[in-house]
Amino acid sequence: MLFQPVPEISLYLAWTAAVVPLAAFGAILVFFRRLPKTAAAISVAAAAVSLICAVCLLVRHWNMDAPLQSAVTWMASGEFEIAVGVLLDPLSLVMLVIVASIAFLVQVYSLGYMAGDAGYGRYFGFMSLFSWAMFGLVLAPNIVQVFIFWELVGLSSYLLIGFWFEKFSATRAGKKAFIMTRAGDTLFFWGWLILLVWGGTLSILELNSGAHGLSSAMTTAAALLVFGGIMGKSAQFPLMTWLPDAMEGPTPVSALLHSATMVAAGVFLMARLFGFFSQSDLAMAAAMAVGTLSMLLSATMAMVSRDIKQVWAYSTISQLGFMIMALAAGGYAAGIFHLTTHAGFKALLFLCAGVLIHAHETNDMFELGRAGARRMKAAMVCMTAGALALAGIWPFSGFFSKEAVMGALAGADNRLWLFCGLAGVFLTAHYTFRLIFIILFPRTEAAGGPGARHGSVSANAVMYAVLGLLTVFTLAAGFFAQGFEDFIRIHGGHAQEGHLASLAHIASPVLAVAGIVAAWMQFGSNASDQVGFAEKIGPVGRLFARRWYLDHVYAWITGRLLDRGIAEGCRRFENKVIEGALTMITGGVVFFGRMAAGWQRAMIQPKLMAAFAVMFGLILILLVV
Amino acid sequence: MTDWILFIPELYTLAAAGVFFFFCLGRARPGRDYAAAMVLSAAGLVLTVCSAGFEGLIFEGVYRVDLYSQVFKVLIYSGFFLVVCLCADLSGVDETRHSEFYLLLCLCTLAMMLLASSVHLLTLYISLEISSYSLYVLVYLRRGSSQRVKPAFQYFVMGAAASAVMLFGFALVYGAFGSAHMAELMHQVPARIHEPLVFTGFVLSLSGFFFKLAVFPFHFWAPDAYEAAPHQVSAYIATASKVAAIAILVRMIALTGGQGDRVAWVLIFVSVASMTAGNLAALIQKDIKRLLAFSSVAHAGYVMIGILSANAMGYAGAVFYGLSLMVMKFVCFMVVVKASDGGRNIDTEALAGLHHRAPVLALALLLALFGLAGIPPTIGFTAKLLVFRAAMDQGLLWLVIVAMFNVVISLYYYLLVLKAAYYTESEGRPREVALSVPLKCLAGAMIFLMVAGGLWPGYMIVLAESMTAGLLP
Repeated sequence: MLFQPVPEISLYLAWTAAVVPLAAFGAILVFFRRLPKTAAAISVAAAAVSLICAVCLLVRHWNMDAPLQSAVTWMASGEFEIAVGVLLDPLSLVMLVIVASIAFLVQVYSLGYMAGDAGYGRYFGFMSLFSWAMFGLVLAPNIVQVFIFWELVGLSSYLLIGFWFEKFSATRAGKKAFIMTRAGDTLFFWGWLILLVWGGTLSILELNSGAHGLSSAMTTAAALLVFGGIMGKSAQFPLMTWLPDAMEGPTPVSALLHSATMVAAGVFLMARLFGFFSQSDLAMAAAMAVGTLSMLLSATMAMVSRDIKQVWAYSTISQLGFMIMALAAGGYAAGIFHLTTHAGFKALLFLCAGVLIHAHETNDMFELGRAGARRMKAAMVCMTAGALALAGIWPFSGFFSKEAVMGALAGADNRLWLFCGLAGVFLTAHYTFRLIFIILFPRTEAAGGPGARHGSVSANAVMYAVLGLLTVFTLAAGFFAQGFEDFIRIHGGHAQEGHLASLAHIASPVLAVAGIVAAWMQFGSNASDQVGFAEKIGPVGRLFARRWYLDHVYAWITGRLLDRGIAEGCRRFENKVIEGALTMITGGVVFFGRMAAGWQRAMIQPKLMAAFAVMFGLILILLVV
Repeated sequence: MTDWILFIPELYTLAAAGVFFFFCLGRARPGRDYAAAMVLSAAGLVLTVCSAGFEGLIFEGVYRVDLYSQVFKVLIYSGFFLVVCLCADLSGVDETRHSEFYLLLCLCTLAMMLLASSVHLLTLYISLEISSYSLYVLVYLRRGSSQRVKPAFQYFVMGAAASAVMLFGFALVYGAFGSAHMAELMHQVPARIHEPLVFTGFVLSLSGFFFKLAVFPFHFWAPDAYEAAPHQVSAYIATASKVAAIAILVRMIALTGGQGDRVAWVLIFVSVASMTAGNLAALIQKDIKRLLAFSSVAHAGYVMIGILSANAMGYAGAVFYGLSLMVMKFVCFMVVVKASDGGRNIDTEALAGLHHRAPVLALALLLALFGLAGIPPTIGFTAKLLVFRAAMDQGLLWLVIVAMFNVVISLYYYLLVLKAAYYTESEGRPREVALSVPLKCLAGAMIFLMVAGGLWPGYMIVLAESMTAGLLP
């Protein structure tokens, strides 16, 4: 027996948590789109209900010893049945709480942030849709349900990234996010088709326990294809460039997107199918390579970006890369723990950035510094706390999770991954504090206080309360690392502590501090010129700033190869061959039609003769044959 | 002793015909005729529905009343009633001829009811002739058209020739078995169907039914007759008459007990030939009624697929197909009647902008044409699915593929009609299509029936299966 049935009360709680946001979405879009206050109240209330349910579930099942699952048949076709239901295990419970709390906090924050926006009601409707999609994904007991909500998550991200659709760049960013993730989703789709057709099961627990009929080669193929979907969703190399562009959405959306929902869904799926991925060494190695590459590439991009939100976006890709590296190295608990702490401090960083951007109406960190952003003390303190966590400094949560990740990497067979990871730690600390120092120590500073230039809405107390809560979480979460690990590691693999582990545990914080010091020398101290070492070397700086020319490669692929190559070839084939053949066929059909109809003009005698001839001829032929 | 109770619906219809006969004698009063026809046909429909449970043999065993015949009588009567519903605007027929029109319609219905119950070759022949004769005259009743003579005459000659061939076939069958009772034939035919005499006689006796159903090679009358007849008469031929033909054809083929491979080959040939000829010729038609006539020929071919499969699903499918054809064709003719001006024939272009002028009617037409083309979820899809399934069970996959090609061809001309109704805007001020409230309800009921037949056909299929259960050996 792989699982036990979910107790009834828990089942109700789980369904409530998932369905209430959907109800809110429906109610808002149908009835309350023109009533912004009501819409926001409904949405926040729904998020609160979900959060309460999620916490209750976590508390009830803190000591669970086997996964709980309940499902009802949704549709059946022959022997194949598609079920919908809930799967409760430590992973889904933790994820549920993360999603619910971040969604709730972000919505509360949005009450102030989005005030006065024309699409206030619509915004909260989409937020509820987003929460529903993510809850459905987290609770899914089989891949079909995962896939359905996976796509819904993609859809709601598209709607929210392109929320200010009157702005051309926003619609383009929304489209880009949607299409690039779809490229990965197509692979995912093929992957689960293989699981269905050859493996015969889509149940997550059965897949994880190896109870499927796939050969090892097929397992690898399916795992690689599913990982393709993860690459798209979690913005891993080479499908990574949509994420920085997705900054066109409102900042709270970015916070939600980057911490708990959209991009986290990819890592969540990898953790969800951890047992399945473990069955293929090749898939794990590929995941490790992709994670490492994405982590390093995006860290370099973050080193030269001037846009505060983009820096956080690159750092998200980079941290997701860390999580995938940890999972690929077998560090199940480490990966999920990093996902959890990252959700907290990344939401914090984005929401702080939102406060600054709102006050000064610019995304450029140099301008923010010049405009006197550092005088917004509360926001700056919170942001620095988040940045310390991101850089991995004790006692912030990022320190503990990064140590866990490094421990997992130290256990990997190939040492290269550990060294890449340590390099990543250095780069992370460097680019994070580059941003902090540039804002804190501007070279020239304009007069006037925060928000004095514009009549924009200043941050209100509720928004600061949200920031405070997240800061407390960032400070405290690390100390629950052991408890978290014990809870999550019920059926996950155990990362073996290699002899390199102690080295990694020491090297990681040292490198983090070194990164900060390097950033101080270049951006903080009075003697510095605030130009990073990457920017000093022209070609390298350009390479980083242009995102390693990835967008150019895409443009070449889509423009030259797809549009002018394949599509044009197909068009010519269509015009010449297919249309020509069709014209011939239809012409022939119409010709025969005229012939058949032409019979009608005949006199009655030939018609009768034909009728008799057919009847008697048929009889004769059949009697002879 | 004859149990006259079983014969009540037929007697009632005869009485109704008598009423119209007396109307013929007096002065022409179209309003009265219409009202009487509505009341009489509605009451008759109720009566046939009430008699659906009757069962028994009467008239020395030549007339069989069972679930099969009674349900078909309900269908035929529904066709009659629906056609009468369209007669509010009977401008295609001269006003002095209205009572004759109803009289002949009544007689034809009566004959078809007799046809559905006939289990003796002679009763069968007589009832077939009565129904055909009424129709010959009805086709000729079109007002003012100088073109009516030739089609009506062709129709008559074609029918007479088919009857002659059928009678010859009956004679051969009788000569072989010394009996014309279907109950006795049913026992003897399957074993001897391969004898040349029996085979020839059997196939020749099918001609009359081929003519009735407008199956190749006896389909030549259909387009001209449809075109020349008043709309209501065309509607009647396309609905009630086709249902009756299916009823008797299924009964005849069931005689072979599924043993007649050669008979099956004859049927396969005529089936493929009629659907191909019908669909191809329909492609280039402009006149909607001609188009519907050719489409009827094609659908006769599809029905034959179910019949020639000669298994439970095939017979049930054919019966279901009859029901679906009646509903869908009726909707098409309702549109023709409503969209035409003064009973004149119309081209497809005349439907331009129908969805503005009569949205309910346009929706009904959409569903009916989708159904005729076999697109789910409509009743026509279910019907096609049933007959195709039956053929697949008999290993006739290639026949189904041929039929699917035909379906694709047919989609073209059905969609052309739809394009006119939905996408073309009419030039100038088109005639208003005024739909009275009862007709709107009728269109709504048809829409419901077409969708219900696509989504929840279970009940109807079970009924069709229990009807045809007695026909199987």
